[in-house]
Amino acid sequence: MSLNSTELLDQFILEARECLENIGHRLLDVEKSPSDTGLLNDLFRQVHTLKGNCGLFEFKALEHVVHAGEDLLDRIRSGQQRYNPEIADVLLDAMDYTSSLIDVIESQGKLPDSAQERSRHLAQALRRHLGEPAPAAVQSAPPATTADTPLPDWIGLAPPEWRESGRIVVRYRPEADCFFKGEDPWRLASTTPGLLHLAVAPDQPWASGDAFDCYVCNLDLRLVSEAPLAEIEAHFRYVPEQMALWRMPDAPPEPALAPPAAAAPAAERSCVQMDLMNTRLQQIWDDQRRLLARSGVSAGTVASVRQTLTHLLICRDDPPLIAEARAALGRIAPGPVPLAQWALQYRPGGTDMDIEGPGQAAASVPAPRREGGTAAEDGSTERGQKVLKVSQDKIDRLMELIGEMVVAKNALPYLATRAESLFGQRELAREIKAQYSVINRIAEDMQHAIMQVRMLPVGIIFQRFGRLVRDLSKKLGKDVSLVVEGEETEADKNVIESLADPLIHILRNSLDHGLETPEVRLAAGKPAQGTLRVSARQEGDRVMLTIHDDGAGIDTDRVRLKAIERGLIPADRASTLTDAEAVQLVFLPGFSTSDAISDLSGRGVGMDVVRNAVERINGQVELESVRGQGTTVRLTLPLSMAVTNVMMIEAGRRRFGVPMDLIVETVRVPAEDIHHFKRSQTTVLRGRIVPLRSLSELLGLDNEARMNDDGELAVLVVRLGSENIGLLVDNFHGTSDIILKPLEGVLAGITGFAGTALMGDGSVLMILNPKELV
Amino acid sequence: MGIRYQKKSATLQGLVCAEDAEILLNWLKSKPDAAVNVTRCKQMHAAVLQVLLALKPTITGVPADPWLRTALNKG
Repeated sequence: MSLNSTELLDQFILEARECLENIGHRLLDVEKSPSDTGLLNDLFRQVHTLKGNCGLFEFKALEHVVHAGEDLLDRIRSGQQRYNPEIADVLLDAMDYTSSLIDVIESQGKLPDSAQERSRHLAQALRRHLGEPAPAAVQSAPPATTADTPLPDWIGLAPPEWRESGRIVVRYRPEADCFFKGEDPWRLASTTPGLLHLAVAPDQPWASGDAFDCYVCNLDLRLVSEAPLAEIEAHFRYVPEQMALWRMPDAPPEPALAPPAAAAPAAERSCVQMDLMNTRLQQIWDDQRRLLARSGVSAGTVASVRQTLTHLLICRDDPPLIAEARAALGRIAPGPVPLAQWALQYRPGGTDMDIEGPGQAAASVPAPRREGGTAAEDGSTERGQKVLKVSQDKIDRLMELIGEMVVAKNALPYLATRAESLFGQRELAREIKAQYSVINRIAEDMQHAIMQVRMLPVGIIFQRFGRLVRDLSKKLGKDVSLVVEGEETEADKNVIESLADPLIHILRNSLDHGLETPEVRLAAGKPAQGTLRVSARQEGDRVMLTIHDDGAGIDTDRVRLKAIERGLIPADRASTLTDAEAVQLVFLPGFSTSDAISDLSGRGVGMDVVRNAVERINGQVELESVRGQGTTVRLTLPLSMAVTNVMMIEAGRRRFGVPMDLIVETVRVPAEDIHHFKRSQTTVLRGRIVPLRSLSELLGLDNEARMNDDGELAVLVVRLGSENIGLLVDNFHGTSDIILKPLEGVLAGITGFAGTALMGDGSVLMILNPKELV
Repeated sequence: MGIRYQKKSATLQGLVCAEDAEILLNWLKSKPDAAVNVTRCKQMHAAVLQVLLALKPTITGVPADPWLRTALNKG
């Protein structure tokens, strides 16, 4: 095993989160169509995987809950139990609690003791739905059995010397279909810690002839162990409901209780004990050999194995052999291989046994054993992993590196120019350019490839919506169906992540203000169930997200009134707004129509927060609403935001960058086509009037926009919201890919600039933010 | 590993897994007087044990595992 325990734990947390997410998703799906066995099976499989993972660690609280959930789902899956909203609630509760436990594990590495109580409670809530008596009764109060419950009479079958006080008596009756769960009750029982006695009998009389099915478990296992109760409970932790545990009372049971039918004569008994000791000796010996057989054994391990084996030798009752083995041990060369050979040669009980893969440690996980022990090395190697799980930091680091690479490669053309103009090395300049084009191509491919890695389907944020809509609509007494479309549309991880909160906000708004209660809807002639449609699609290099509800729409009169009331716009202006314009008022900071503060929406942090969040990632928000018919929110977002394509322009003899996605076109307009009206300038482009602003003036530079030799002015047409505006600049330069670094520190307040970028020649390019500038 | 079937006897070797139980069951049904040798059986699945307990074939040999030995009345 190359994974150390912390890496394993990290992996566990990662996988558990994934499982929980899928489970949450599936739970809602199943609630919608409870008869779909495919969904149920998938749900069960997820829970099962989670339970299996929990078993790797000592997180009892976690395991209890997950296991109870698994049992309940198994019932539902096999049709013994019907799925109903109550069960869904309990399962969702349990799932929430499980995720909170995972969070605790991640931050502290272990679970607090208090978690146990709550999880027992939840597990019991789950088991209540199983329709059977709480099977955890023995588990929750184990010592009570000593006095209250009489010992079962079969205890008498165990040899009397094992019926000492404090010993644990176990009756294990595996359920009939346990084989199909990959369990091996016999192996589980025979590997019980501290096992003293094990008897097996048919639970029911064996069916004869064809009626006998070897895959219906019909065993009744009874055992006595000297191990502590907790250890035994841990050993049988997967099958608590099939167990009965008793602790031997302090007073020895009356001898007359039952004559020990299976009691053996004393001599034979000691023989059994010797056998037991020899078996244990063999086990420990083999464990040591397994240790040696692992790859990359350290010198310290070899030394300690050697010491353990030397001590074990003393237990052998064959003095000449011990002496011989000792002498041989003294002669062997250092290192794991010779010691392993020695250990094989002097193995107690002969040398015929090959080392199996997983040792006794794996025994606690009952799984069908594969044939051929050697093949079962680890299991993980042969699973043929096609998917790599990489932490986000590593991808982010790659992204940073490729960003630097892009900048560094841009230095080559400058170098070529210098070689040619300064040193007159034409040939060299050409070669540098040729090299540059090669590097450029590779860097672009690489950048593209890394971007692909960072792409996530938007579905991962949509997944949370199911739960949100379910819970909120229940709370508000509304009947809402959520329709999700285009989940597979991909966008950059950062874009996706920064979208989650705004989207949830929009959904809440729709649920709280938009959609009506069933009665109101019916009265308005609409179906009782409201529809909330979330769809995503890709358009060029943008992702479009649409959230549409068929609710009441935005009450524009009320919006106007509220806006005036809160002093956001003057009353005379409010009355002149069209309905479509009035709808946009909700984007004003501090706008809220709701008078009372509910815990859903209406805390004053309204749509302006949404707009800010979306604009921060270079996106746009549009809002449309029709009274009585519903509201549509449309988000337009870039696919990626790591590398920005900018166009370089010149104004006042300085260079600036303008993000390409804002640029509509670049035109040269003859000076006489520019119309002056009072202080404003306009021109007509393709039959539309475009207002013009001088960039130098906006930036407070003194220079007037320069004309070229033909008397034309350079106009950069940019799109601001839904209108175009022309910026008068001196000249256009080429485009460039840059890594945009936001302004920091004292510069952070300057909104006219989106940030800075380092150019290939080492200069700094200021990137304009036309939205704020104009 | 697994089970080797001869004319009059079956030999259990090493690990005998759950899948072998059904084959052994059918084989034992077709040969009611066959013997089953368990000397070299290190470990058997509960389903296999169940077959041996239910059909009670003649068990030859003594397995190394003491618990298995007791279960098969070879203690």
